[in-house]
Amino acid sequence: MKLIIDAMSGDNAPEAIVSGCVMAAREFGQEYILVGKEDVIRDLLKKENAEDLPISIHPAADVIDMHDDPATAVRRKKDSSMSAALYLLRDGGGDAVISAGNTGALLSGATLVDKRIKGIRRAALPTALPCKGGRVLLLDSGANAECTPEYLLQFAYMGSFYMEKVMGVKNPRVGLVNNGAEDTKGDTLRKETYQMLQQAAAEGRINFVGNVEGSDVPKGACDVAVADGFTGNVMLKTVEGVASFLMGELKNIFLQNTRTKFAYLLLKPAMGGLKKLLSASEVGGAPFLGISKPVFKAHGSSDARAIRSAVKQAMAYVDADVVGEIERNIDHMTL
Amino acid sequence: MVFEKVCEILSEQFGVDAGSLNMDTAFIEDLGADSLDVVELMMSIEEEFDVGEITEEEAAGIKTIGDLVRRIGEDD
Repeated sequence: MKLIIDAMSGDNAPEAIVSGCVMAAREFGQEYILVGKEDVIRDLLKKENAEDLPISIHPAADVIDMHDDPATAVRRKKDSSMSAALYLLRDGGGDAVISAGNTGALLSGATLVDKRIKGIRRAALPTALPCKGGRVLLLDSGANAECTPEYLLQFAYMGSFYMEKVMGVKNPRVGLVNNGAEDTKGDTLRKETYQMLQQAAAEGRINFVGNVEGSDVPKGACDVAVADGFTGNVMLKTVEGVASFLMGELKNIFLQNTRTKFAYLLLKPAMGGLKKLLSASEVGGAPFLGISKPVFKAHGSSDARAIRSAVKQAMAYVDADVVGEIERNIDHMTL
Repeated sequence: MVFEKVCEILSEQFGVDAGSLNMDTAFIEDLGADSLDVVELMMSIEEEFDVGEITEEEAAGIKTIGDLVRRIGEDD
């Protein structure tokens, strides 16, 4: 397998990206192509003593940053590391792209260059959130603010395939994020989507468990939480904010006095586990579901470990052939 | 025919019946296109027809199928 990595995009690029790539090459083998400024990447590989690893460089002089217009960035900056990586994937130069860059630009670029799977109306950005019993896949988590019932139906299928084939969840439970669990709840979008998901469940194609409220999702009520991008993004940011707030409060409690500090020492291993559960570095990245080739978005603030984790996820995604699974089921996913 | 080919591309991109499209169909008002849809459409047209790059300024003035067919250079 050959992984194409955008070396220049992200808060900690290019150092953390190159370092994460080297870490992945040492741990997982495979071939890698780092896309970006050749001399910069070569120097970093030298520093990492990685010249003998199967890592090549594909030169690209420009960089898309957070200020570039997402819809046109890839078209305007054809010699950027992100654009070059996406074109390389399109032309068969590798099996997957990983980038920690501008999310909107990467999604637009993937749609424009690598194209959506035929029949898929919009690609979705999923996020694997920690929840009771494991992880729940929230999609869409921000790529599509306005959705139709058909988009949400497609998100449900794609999320279900991803959880089953990549995350190993058997018969994943699909929930529709709504303002109440009863089937009469929600606006027109939610009500129409509910009917479609129920129909798909009646045909035995997905395991729809009904509406789920925001508070049900962290409790593990479903494995796939389907939402429009606006709702999904508000939910994602709320969860992240609450997690950060609680961790800060816990820290304050432990720092209160000698007794609480001692208590922290006893709890330290367990706290490490909690921190790991909430860490983006452990998941690494998520694919744009619905794009005809594997394009992975790594967190903008990815460190080397997060990039290494994104590589692992991307490899699993390619191996599981989620794109093929979507293509095989597209007739059931369109109206 | 350029018009039929444009309708075929739009039908695939927006999931609409090609028969429901006409020269006055507007991308944003009638098909619900957003900015990404418009860029995607222009790229598909560039790939399908030998028209060179359609600039952002040009694309801003192409609002209907009729505008697009005229830009491609063949009035249906």
